[in-house]
Amino acid sequence: MSGVLLWVVCPKDNINSLLSYLPRNGRSRTSKMCSRLSFSTGVLAYSGAVAHPSRSSEEKVYEVVLKQAALVREQRRDKEKAWDLNKPVETDSLTNRDLLNEAYDRCGEVCAEYAKTFYLGTLLMTPERRRAVWAIYVWCRRTDELVDGPNASHITPKALDRWERRLADLFEGRPYDMYDAALSHTVSKFPVDIQPFRDMIEGMRLDLRKSRYKNFDELYLYCYYVAGTVGLMSVPVMGIAPESKASTESVYNAALALGIANQLTNILRDVGEDARRGRVYLPQDELARAGLSDDDIFRGKVTEKWRNFMKGQIKRARMFFDEAEKGVSELNVASRWPVWASLLLYKQILDAIEANDYDNFTRRAYVGKAKKLLSLPVAYGRALMGPSKLTHSVAR
Amino acid sequence: MLCLGRVLALSYPVNRLSPCNFIGRSSKFNDVRPRLSSKWRSMSSEPESSSFASSIDSDPTDKTAAGFCIIEGPETVQDFDKMELQEIQDNIRSRRNKIFLHMEEVRRLRIQQRLKSSELGIFKEEQENELPDFPSFIPFLPPLSSANLRLYYASCFSLIAGIILFGGLLAPTLELKLGIGGTSYEDFIRSMHLPMQLSQVDPIVASFSGGAVGVISALMVVEINNVKQQEDKRCKYCLGTGYLACARCSSTGALILIEPVSTVNGRDQPLSLPKTERCSNCSGSGKVMCPTCLCTGMAMASEHDPRIDPFD
Repeated sequence: MSGVLLWVVCPKDNINSLLSYLPRNGRSRTSKMCSRLSFSTGVLAYSGAVAHPSRSSEEKVYEVVLKQAALVREQRRDKEKAWDLNKPVETDSLTNRDLLNEAYDRCGEVCAEYAKTFYLGTLLMTPERRRAVWAIYVWCRRTDELVDGPNASHITPKALDRWERRLADLFEGRPYDMYDAALSHTVSKFPVDIQPFRDMIEGMRLDLRKSRYKNFDELYLYCYYVAGTVGLMSVPVMGIAPESKASTESVYNAALALGIANQLTNILRDVGEDARRGRVYLPQDELARAGLSDDDIFRGKVTEKWRNFMKGQIKRARMFFDEAEKGVSELNVASRWPVWASLLLYKQILDAIEANDYDNFTRRAYVGKAKKLLSLPVAYGRALMGPSKLTHSVAR
Repeated sequence: MLCLGRVLALSYPVNRLSPCNFIGRSSKFNDVRPRLSSKWRSMSSEPESSSFASSIDSDPTDKTAAGFCIIEGPETVQDFDKMELQEIQDNIRSRRNKIFLHMEEVRRLRIQQRLKSSELGIFKEEQENELPDFPSFIPFLPPLSSANLRLYYASCFSLIAGIILFGGLLAPTLELKLGIGGTSYEDFIRSMHLPMQLSQVDPIVASFSGGAVGVISALMVVEINNVKQQEDKRCKYCLGTGYLACARCSSTGALILIEPVSTVNGRDQPLSLPKTERCSNCSGSGKVMCPTCLCTGMAMASEHDPRIDPFD
């Protein structure tokens, strides 16, 4: 299983709780899980985790992934019932078809305004999925703007609590405003769970408090909160191919890995910009190990030490991309092309950072239009490859 | 401006204590939070936005009771319910007065901030004492200012004079034929096999039409550019209106109460019209506050009053 590669060691007591989630006989797997070593140098620090009673972020995140997969399986079993459960019983939601369509159109406009390339990518999807992705995007963006936008100075924990209440209400079919109504309609049509949304709000709370991350574990949790959740939100919309033999968990894990990879790429691209706002999204212990400090980052000079450090970070981000690639082929055939396209495009940003001689302080790593267009047929080619036919590839 | 006023009311020290929790659109003003006013004071000394988060955390829950919350909730309670109409009007007037005075204070504080930081040698890369620039409505042209307006006039007039000279004197003298391959208009019509009458267009008519087409397309370009610039300043979520449609009542403002109709009675009573009640989300207005722009309709909710930054 792809997700397992993220584990270094798993404390024995956790295995039993996890076994209850595993759909197949996991006996042979657990030994594999325990013997896997992580490939990232930073994570090797976890070998100490055996002695610790506290769990690493990766384990906690993995449990969320398992829960999501389990929920989807339940809903798959009583298909018709589950999908109607979220239909609004009261006359609260925008039942008027015109207003709903207008709400979705506005979501598309907002998406086109703020994320042009992403918007173009959504045009490759089926119309229903496209609208759903827009609605999710707008909610995520509004949530992000609460702490990062023009009103960030007025944000309070109370506002975030209220926002979370609104989220719960819209999942029950009682949306507050038109953008909430679009999302409410989306979650009634697709089996999307509320937990990733809650986790994203949690990530915003984290962002209010923290501006430094001690180790990769903390950074991983943050990346999960702000980007991994998006991956988990979109898997039910993209859909898993019916002929796929992969387990639901592995697809969710791949989506999670894609989210993490995207966020790590963002972080590596925006080091200079974040530093100017006083934030460093790189693990402090790894910086120290490379002989760097926050001052080096604020100074903004590219040294040999910085290049070596960046090489390691980019390598790790690429590994997450590789993890993600394993799951994209298991998605529904109509969704593979856009997801592949976005994966390839984002991966190219890492190449751009390297081409800039690792100067992410002053130069923005940018993928030119020509390269973007070229990725489209390549993505199409890879999308033609369907789900892996080999069953044993599942028990990775 | 009224919307601006609402945002600026954040800095308003509260005169009367209000029972906490709630948030009606009108009662937002009430809770101004001494906590927030202290934040504004700290804001004048720390203009970095990243420090806002820390300043919010630094005054922890000592003012838990009242906190202005940018997210409205469905369980809004209108605190001003108990006031009489005259009282409400007096309240509004006194608050608007205070808003004005506070903005003036912000302006003066900013001036002092600027003076003190230049004394201390902290320079920002801003232009000093220059007349403001007007961005040009025509795309690709540099911004105008009163200084280069003269240059602008001169170049425009000389261009016009040059074209008139060219068209009136140079072209006929040199017998310029500007058609494809050095043809005149007559040759062009002949080559297109159109009736020869078309080539005998009156020169005055021709120049009038040509000029009109040029002028109209130029005006169109300018207007479109203007619209684009204004649009850029708008909040993208509410499209400048400051409000979003209330989903609870679908913008109608009224909720229909569904009463179960009993069929047990058997009496042939005609169905009565469904009763409606005012939507609690939007208080009957059909729209709710846009949390992105805080009802200002502008992309940057709080930073477009010139008094906030007199050196901008």
